[in-house]
Amino acid sequence: MDGGRDHRNTSAAAAAAPARAGAVRSGAQHLLDALEAEGVDTIFGYPGGAIMPVYDALVDSSLKHILVRHEQGAALAADGYARASGRVGVCLATSGPGATNLLTGLANAYLDSVPLLAITGQVPTSLMGTDAFQEVDVFGMSLPVVKHSYIVRRAEDVHAIVREAIAIATSGRPGPVLIDLPKDVANARAVARPVRQIVTRLPAAAEARLAEAHALLARAKKPLLYVGGGVGIAGAERELREFARLTGIPAVATLKGLGACDPDDAHYLGMLGMHGNPAANFAVQECDLLLVVGARFDDRATGRLASFAPEARVIHLDADAAELGKLRACDVGLVGDLREMLPRLVHPVAIRPWQRRCRVLRQQHAWRYDAPGEGIYAPALLKQLSEAGGNRLIVASDVGQHQMWVAQHWRVPYTAAHLSSGGLGTMGFGLPAAIGAQLARPGATVVCVSGDGSIMMNIQELATLKRYNIPVKIVLLDNSSLGMVRQWQELFFERRYSEVDLSDNPDFAELARAFGIPSFAIERRDQVDGAVQRLLREPGPLLCHVRIDARENVWPLVPPGKSNGEMMGCAA
Amino acid sequence: MSCSLVLALDRAEGALLRVLGTIERRGWDVLAVNAASDAQAYTVNLTLGGSRDPEILCRQLQRLVDVQEVRLVGEG
Ligand SMILES: Cc1ncc(C[n+]2csc(CCOP(=O)(O)OP(=O)(O)O)c2C)c(N)n1
Ligand SMILES: [Mg+2]
Repeated sequence: MDGGRDHRNTSAAAAAAPARAGAVRSGAQHLLDALEAEGVDTIFGYPGGAIMPVYDALVDSSLKHILVRHEQGAALAADGYARASGRVGVCLATSGPGATNLLTGLANAYLDSVPLLAITGQVPTSLMGTDAFQEVDVFGMSLPVVKHSYIVRRAEDVHAIVREAIAIATSGRPGPVLIDLPKDVANARAVARPVRQIVTRLPAAAEARLAEAHALLARAKKPLLYVGGGVGIAGAERELREFARLTGIPAVATLKGLGACDPDDAHYLGMLGMHGNPAANFAVQECDLLLVVGARFDDRATGRLASFAPEARVIHLDADAAELGKLRACDVGLVGDLREMLPRLVHPVAIRPWQRRCRVLRQQHAWRYDAPGEGIYAPALLKQLSEAGGNRLIVASDVGQHQMWVAQHWRVPYTAAHLSSGGLGTMGFGLPAAIGAQLARPGATVVCVSGDGSIMMNIQELATLKRYNIPVKIVLLDNSSLGMVRQWQELFFERRYSEVDLSDNPDFAELARAFGIPSFAIERRDQVDGAVQRLLREPGPLLCHVRIDARENVWPLVPPGKSNGEMMGCAA
Repeated sequence: MSCSLVLALDRAEGALLRVLGTIERRGWDVLAVNAASDAQAYTVNLTLGGSRDPEILCRQLQRLVDVQEVRLVGEG
């Protein structure tokens, strides 16, 4: 059993000796030295009392610091940076309110297994535990939502702890790591102690287990790949696509698994779950063998668990041993590196009738875009924009109905091209995540798809777009409401609408201009072509305010407590 | 149902909190706990009540960075 102590070897930079080995430096300087030695180039933060020594050291550092306008923005931007690049995202905040403002970002990264390093200032060691000004126990508060955390007690430890923290954040199943740095430790001067090399790797899957998996595959008549975010995290997209190509086994994906399969593969059925494509949900219900690849049976994906894939035997592949059998027993569990395991899993199958059945499902339940009326149909706009932009696009979505439309209708060419807050469902994720992604991938065109509710949760980051002229394109789908909640009230609370009306929204185009961001608004279908062109051509940041019908809902929908086969808004 | 675990932990700040927090959050009731330490490590003996699979809990504990070893020594 080897769960967390599987820190994969980090970059070559990490193996190199620290640049200023042997020099007497302050704790704050050691912190920045260590980040540089790890190849970090950008950090997101906000200053304040307890973190001032680090901000002072930043003046002499080559690190690029992005001043956000709320610490939650820093954490979510670092998260977007990490998701888009596969490298650790780093954020920085002061003690007390600065630290508590990071917590949502830590939880977001924890639930989506994102490598994030959060550094917080802390009151001086002598004042810790005395309810000092801006003292909060962020170490304690964050315990449930970090992979690991540290309070640094000695300046000589800073360098090694940062290096170790990054190794932990990025290895095995990645996750957020917090370093709480008391002000006196940041100011103290010392020679850095040597870095403990953390070189551990994921275990190789046992040959005997693979043989069992092959036996199940050989017998299966209706096998199905259920693909999750673990594939992108492991960098195993190529291996997954090769496995799918060689075996011809049909596939469905989770929200975080979008882009793992080739979207044009004839055997790919799209997203499963609460707002999944009906073809994907029906295929899961019919399959006799489920190949779970880097997925974790999240309730939004499975619906009523007891009736999820009721006919299926289960082969579960994951980097994290603790996921096997957590929610659904597996017949064969394979723990290790997906890149290593997937090629070894390939085995001949005879599944022609099942492939035909899946093709029929796919055709029967292809999305339709012929919505009546003159108004803008958001799914059609998203499809058009993503197809026009092609592989150079990265989309960062916010949370709500618009997020589900992105998941359903955006063409996602690879996993890191689709950033979505899956596990936590954090409204306000979209804009800061887009900022982080754009800085990580300057050559990409980053589109933030947001809602009128979500955008207001981190609207202050428009100032960050402006300050650094970050060319994120914001597509704001404005239905004058907290649409997803409204939809649930309509369907499950007898239309007793409670606090979901946002018809007094600000004029978003005007608001963007007040921040210095160019903007335009559209509300008719005949304006969509022009808007798509403008979004893809115009350099610099841009906001497109899209007015849509408040009554539009996301279909299909698996009602709470129901099986995925019982979708509303879909003919069986 | 109850189970007994023996854990070896790094003697690191927060190690005990992390272990106990994980146990309770994952749906287990701490019936008895006994911890001792030397300069390097904590040794923790636990008796837990709960209805979930103790093997899964062991793996959830095993992945904590401070946890050196988890042994399931009794189930009943
Ligand atoms: C921080 C946070 N608060 C509350 C929620 C609950 N919630 C989920 S979707 C939603 C409505 C989102 O509204 P909007 O951004 O306008 O998107 P729409 O559904 O209208 O497309 C709410 C309130 C959440 N997910 N996150
Ligand atoms: Mg809305």
